[in-house]
Amino acid sequence: MTEDELRSEAKMVDLLNQFEHILESDPHIDEVGFVHPSQFFQLNEEAGHSLPSSDSSADGNSVFWNEDHKLGISTQVLLPLYKASKDAFMTANRQFKELNSTSDVSGAENSLCTSLSLDDSIESAVMKHSRALLLLSCDFGTAWHSRKLVVLEKHKLSALLDELLLSALVLSYSPKSEYAWGHRKWVIKSISEKCSTLPEIVTKESELVEKIAERSKMNYRAWNHRCWLVSYMTREQLLHELKRSRNWANLHVADHSCFHYRSQLMLKILEDQCYEQEISSSGYSVEIYLLWKDELDWDEMLIKRYIGREVGDTHLLIVTIFSRNTVDFISPIILDPLSFHFCGIHCKQALWLHRRFLSLFWIKHFLTDHTGLSNHGKQKTCMNNDFSVFMDDELHLLHSCSIIPDNSFDDYQAQAMHSATYMLWLIKQIPDPCRIELQEKLRTENLKALLNKVCPERSSTWDCLTGYVEASDH
Amino acid sequence: MGELASQKHVQFIVSVEKKKDSFESVVMEHIRMNGAYWGLTALDLLGKLHVVDVGEVVSWVLQCRHDSGGFGGNIGHDPHVLYTLSAVQVLALFDKLDVLDIEKVASYVAGLQNEDGSFSGDMWGEIDTRFSYIAISCLSLLHRLDKINVEKAVNYILSCKNHDGGFGCTPGAESHAGQIFCCVGALAITGSLHHIDKDLLGWWLCERQDNKTGGLNGRPEKLPDVCYSWWALSSLIMIDRVHWINKDKLIKFILDCQDIENGGISDRPDDAVDVYHTYFGVAGLSLLEYPGLKAMDPAYALPVDVVNRIILGR
Repeated sequence: MTEDELRSEAKMVDLLNQFEHILESDPHIDEVGFVHPSQFFQLNEEAGHSLPSSDSSADGNSVFWNEDHKLGISTQVLLPLYKASKDAFMTANRQFKELNSTSDVSGAENSLCTSLSLDDSIESAVMKHSRALLLLSCDFGTAWHSRKLVVLEKHKLSALLDELLLSALVLSYSPKSEYAWGHRKWVIKSISEKCSTLPEIVTKESELVEKIAERSKMNYRAWNHRCWLVSYMTREQLLHELKRSRNWANLHVADHSCFHYRSQLMLKILEDQCYEQEISSSGYSVEIYLLWKDELDWDEMLIKRYIGREVGDTHLLIVTIFSRNTVDFISPIILDPLSFHFCGIHCKQALWLHRRFLSLFWIKHFLTDHTGLSNHGKQKTCMNNDFSVFMDDELHLLHSCSIIPDNSFDDYQAQAMHSATYMLWLIKQIPDPCRIELQEKLRTENLKALLNKVCPERSSTWDCLTGYVEASDH
Repeated sequence: MGELASQKHVQFIVSVEKKKDSFESVVMEHIRMNGAYWGLTALDLLGKLHVVDVGEVVSWVLQCRHDSGGFGGNIGHDPHVLYTLSAVQVLALFDKLDVLDIEKVASYVAGLQNEDGSFSGDMWGEIDTRFSYIAISCLSLLHRLDKINVEKAVNYILSCKNHDGGFGCTPGAESHAGQIFCCVGALAITGSLHHIDKDLLGWWLCERQDNKTGGLNGRPEKLPDVCYSWWALSSLIMIDRVHWINKDKLIKFILDCQDIENGGISDRPDDAVDVYHTYFGVAGLSLLEYPGLKAMDPAYALPVDVVNRIILGR
């Protein structure tokens, strides 16, 4: 297929028809990807075919590959296919808007729903061509908007649910698509007003985010979507999600977004409890206290997991992770330095930042709150004891993380740096009487010396941070 | 350390506009208005805005205008505040704001404020602190901030502040350097920076610098990326904590991301260049007072002389 041929209009329309036909005939396609022509043979081999299972253009070259509800599009046809689908969509959309023009489109969705009866064929053309277009250009906002208008016309739950499928399909090739995530949110908001199966949908959404997060690391929009779902979750779901995401976090200790998600789940549980507490005034439940304690212990376990491990080869590091299939089965895997960097085990910054959050709320809710309840001397002593025990544990952790063997790797330096900045941050955040007590045991200049030792290139930053912490001493 | 290949970058930016023969270039056509803002602002910082035909740009911008007062990302595309601000910024660069029906544009933007003070991006209701910034910056450039409830807008932004001192796109969303720029920028424009714990936020921002390369990332555990030489750096400047990072190492990182031969700047050294990272690289260097570049305003994301002309009337 030469470029000249591709440019001819008729061929472009044929190509689009072929594409749309595949999408119509297999409504269960759940994954789409762009494939280099040389990969078609390999795809067929993997699927166990000697003969191509792909749709070909007139001269026999493979253009589409469709098997097991997976769709591959040849990179060779992306440009003409995009142009054809865009032209077709823009034409249909213009006709659709002309039909609508008698109505006020400026924002009154409801008036659109009730006052118009649209030509079905134009509607279905908009839906057909926008779908083709969005599978090539994920953030073509105008196409997503037109779909919303058509769906609103239909007043049908099934039409809304179909949009979740398309959005998931777009996310399969473009997991960061702003519009695909926005479209999901819009659909779920529309459903939440009239649908009894919302808890089920929330669970499914959460699973989708987890699946996408697996191959698209620290995807901001995906994790935000999951954080947004928190407000729709029942208490049971919150606890279930906390458990579920811990298993995931065990395998992805560098995914800060997952730890942020956990913080949101915990805050929601705490907030719901505070609300109940106002009614019963019975204090924080043991359950939440244990939940927080357990999270602190787990975080510490993950931080310590790789400290002091014998490393035989500078290029290969052996770590233990939980296998994907069974949580109990521990299998060793070998990671090269590159993937090691990306999975971030050797930095573990996310674990230390999560600890900042946990400690901050621990001090705020489970230690200092006693003073609010009573000024009784006994209780105050109890609080100080609690605080002392807590801080002694943290100091012990700092100590074990700041030992740097002579022939060590960057890991130890990074670990020491994170533990020292964690302590500095904590000193700054804790209330005055406790801070004075703590500073008798730990001088900020010692932390500064440690930071300058492990990371001398940032000495001016350490000066600024310690200066700021010390400035609030009086 | 290499030097900024200014002439090559000008050639690269001008050439991007002419490339229409690849899927990668046409598939970005829905955000052409943003692209115009990135490319033209970079040209202005490099002192070469005169190489483009003003009449052609202004006429195209006006063709993206809708009856509602909003602008689309290209001709025939639906309006959104993302493109409306870019359109206003592009016209501001050329001192052509007078071609606008200012009342109409301001009404469109102000009409997107919600009861809680937040802003939607368009009629479909997606809420994000990016849209708060856009609305505030846009209305301020048009001298129409009085059309919205500024107090409520500020309070909504503050409700998106996290315990780590950063800001996310909605309440409870993870802190992100891009969102922080939007929140801090909006607070700066409305004179509300006193609501921020500058030290706590400065702490979070200075931890974005990579000890080895000197580049900034946008969130913990992410790789450094030139675009955060704008988002994080401008925020540090607005809250007066830029001395908390190593500026020389950041300059070196940006310069290392240049394509010396063909022009353009990439996200990280040796990656493919694009106009987005070229703009943020040049803008970051301008904030770092790199010689030969016009000064950049950290809140409005426009050259200082353009902001002075509009805001101060000089």
